[in-house]
Amino acid sequence: MIQRLIEEAPAFFGYYNLVFLGQAMLATLALSAVGSLAGLAAGLALALVRLPNGPLWWPLQATAILFTELFRRVPFLVTLMLVFFAFQLSGFNLPLFAVACIAVFLIATAYLGEIIRAGFDSVHRNQWDAAAAMNFSLLQTVRYVILPQAWRIILPPAFGFFVLFIKDTALASQIGVIELTYAGKVLNNKGFSAALVFGTMLVLYFIISYPLTRLGARLEQRLAKSRHR
Amino acid sequence: MSYTLQFGQVWPHVPFLLAGALLSLQIAFLAFCGGLLIGTLGAAGKSFGGPTLRRGIDAYVVFFTNTPQLVQIYFLYFALPDAGILLSSYAAVLIGMTLNAGAYLTEIQRAGFESVRQTEMEAAETLGFSRAQQIRYVILPHVARVLFPPLSNQYILMTLGTSMAAIFGVEELTGRAFNLNSQTFRSIEVFSVTALLYIVITFFATAILAVMGRVLFRARMRII
Repeated sequence: MIQRLIEEAPAFFGYYNLVFLGQAMLATLALSAVGSLAGLAAGLALALVRLPNGPLWWPLQATAILFTELFRRVPFLVTLMLVFFAFQLSGFNLPLFAVACIAVFLIATAYLGEIIRAGFDSVHRNQWDAAAAMNFSLLQTVRYVILPQAWRIILPPAFGFFVLFIKDTALASQIGVIELTYAGKVLNNKGFSAALVFGTMLVLYFIISYPLTRLGARLEQRLAKSRHR
Repeated sequence: MSYTLQFGQVWPHVPFLLAGALLSLQIAFLAFCGGLLIGTLGAAGKSFGGPTLRRGIDAYVVFFTNTPQLVQIYFLYFALPDAGILLSSYAAVLIGMTLNAGAYLTEIQRAGFESVRQTEMEAAETLGFSRAQQIRYVILPHVARVLFPPLSNQYILMTLGTSMAAIFGVEELTGRAFNLNSQTFRSIEVFSVTALLYIVITFFATAILAVMGRVLFRARMRII
């Protein structure tokens, strides 16, 4: 087995394969970055919708709660298939990459919305009351009082989920998005041995994910310190 | 936009899907138990072991938490046969999920072990507790209460994670959904019913675990 790996390695790490793998790596990164950043914005919107009181907001709030509760209970693969077939049947001709982005976006919105809401909850009730006493509107309260305190709570788990999404995008290979795992399958089909191909995939994912994990851990430590002032 | 949803062809197959769900739960349960065992040993090794053992455990955790589970199982399923180890798809998924869960559970449990404060142990010693009594009356109740919520959370995530087994042809819930999809071509309907089943299953699992946590360990958990 080792003999075979050594024989194959020069061909496997040839110029065109490396370019192909590089592109696939970029696709993986782009997929998780676009999905998570859009999900962060939409998650913030979901968390904001749940703040105001009043019967006018109830339908919107019920939708927000239903959305987070449902999408956090469906496996990513199933969401991916649902989005994929929904677009196929609705007749929109979207590229597969966009379809996968939307699936990641939906899941990210549900998870990040919950993280942001927990962050809002962590700010003491008195802060909300004080802002109300100063006649701040709800948006002003969030912008000037709540977010400056809550982001320290929100950022570490949000970062953790970003790293998790990078690994989850491996499932997008199932609908044919050309990202890292799909590239691995293509190279395996070309005849390179599975150990070499998937071993390389593991290393490449590790190269993407590990620095981000370390960064997240450092971030968490620094933010935790500043919280206990 | 001329597609009409037709659930009529899917409803008769719900028992078929539910039987698949049973397999999903089985995989999740077995992988979780295996992972819990690895995690307990790993956390104990990290807390009490020597530097070499600790570095080894760190390497295991860092590797498995930083690579996708899907690619790990691909490796087990497609690369190990080259070395003469032939795994069935079920075994490959189960081993992959167990190893992956072991890494996450090591981290979770280590944090739980660390939450026992030195003063608590000293207090137990002052009261004249033997080592066994300390573990039974001080460490375990504390650790169980702290660990139960993150562990049950991980269990729910793993139940969702079992859908990955479908890619390797295991006939669990998602796998059966794929089958049904290729039989009926009612893709949206099949996958929405599947999603609904996952929602119902995890909903019940969360509720049961939360009640268990509250009654047995007085853990603070939301039931719904």
